[in-house]
Amino acid sequence: MKLVVKAKVFAAILCLMTFAICSVASGAEGEPDRVVCDVHAGPCRAHISGTKVSLDIEPKPVKAMQDLTFSVTFAGEKPVAAPYIDLGMPGMNMGRNRVILRSAGELVYRGEGVIVRCPSGRRTWKAKVTFPDVGSVEFVFDVIY
Amino acid sequence: MLSTETIYFVIFTTGLAVGFGHCIGMCGPIVVSLSLSLKGRSVLVPHLLYNGGRITTYGLLGGVMGATGSFTRVVASIGSFQKGVMIFTGILIVVMGLAMAGWVPLGEIFGDYYNPQGLLSRGFRKLSETRSAATYYPLGMLLGLLPCGPVYTALLAAARAGMETQKTMEGVLIGVGLMLSFGLGTVVALLLIAKLADLGWLKRRDVIYKISSVLMIIVGVYFVVKAIRY
Repeated sequence: MKLVVKAKVFAAILCLMTFAICSVASGAEGEPDRVVCDVHAGPCRAHISGTKVSLDIEPKPVKAMQDLTFSVTFAGEKPVAAPYIDLGMPGMNMGRNRVILRSAGELVYRGEGVIVRCPSGRRTWKAKVTFPDVGSVEFVFDVIY
Repeated sequence: MLSTETIYFVIFTTGLAVGFGHCIGMCGPIVVSLSLSLKGRSVLVPHLLYNGGRITTYGLLGGVMGATGSFTRVVASIGSFQKGVMIFTGILIVVMGLAMAGWVPLGEIFGDYYNPQGLLSRGFRKLSETRSAATYYPLGMLLGLLPCGPVYTALLAAARAGMETQKTMEGVLIGVGLMLSFGLGTVVALLLIAKLADLGWLKRRDVIYKISSVLMIIVGVYFVVKAIRY
């Protein structure tokens, strides 16, 4: 009897913690548009609130565990705040991996980052480009391990 | 840029979140294997030691990242060693599975064959238990080197933080601090898994042990195959 109560309390704590962490991880924002692209072939392109946005990653082919340069081009009015990129895997929390972008010319932003390697062997990654005052878009692509 | 306090908090909560998602999937089999190999003995101390060892390695790696400020250079230099650790882990899980099922007489290794009769025997068993619990710390240190995506991400943060410091020692300290924060965050999930895998409250333990042994052998082989392909 005592063991059953213990197991129930334990299960309840586990559920509560999982729920709390899932709530924190998902956040309150809506899901951004997702665009699947071949980043090895050239820049990935999409629209945020009707404005063209492109993401390019160099050097090519894009490999994990090496220093990469991320370039974001915004074909609209100059945004108030510089954009940033959050790297992750679709459906898998890999931790916060944010690439800070700095202005590198007229409507071009650049930053350095690394796409880490997942030992599971999955190669599909996403780069969520966020313009704080405009919106965000997710580019999904495969990298080379 | 985030303040130092905020970045520690972000890294800690990252550890907490990936602990319940990623770590349970990737490190869960190891933790379950370690729990089952204890066969009814208390899991808390061995697992605290295992996690302590794992976090120690994270802290050391964080210190190196913070000092050098270069993630890719450090990771490249430990890459082949990590592969070796992955193969070792796979073999270890297979051996534990074989021993637990009783298919290979390795019980002595886990301290199961001592019959606690008489003062000497009881003392020897006590010593054996202490020794086997203590081995969880170096084991944790070694397994802390397993290649893992979220650990890489945290190390990346440590390298970046180190790059922004003026002195090497500052970089070392912030790198160690960040990785310790991350590691502490992951402990919660892994301890819960260890406790769940503790089958002391089940009646048909023998059957569960047999099934678990087969699963452990499969998981161990999977680890070795993954390591070879890594």
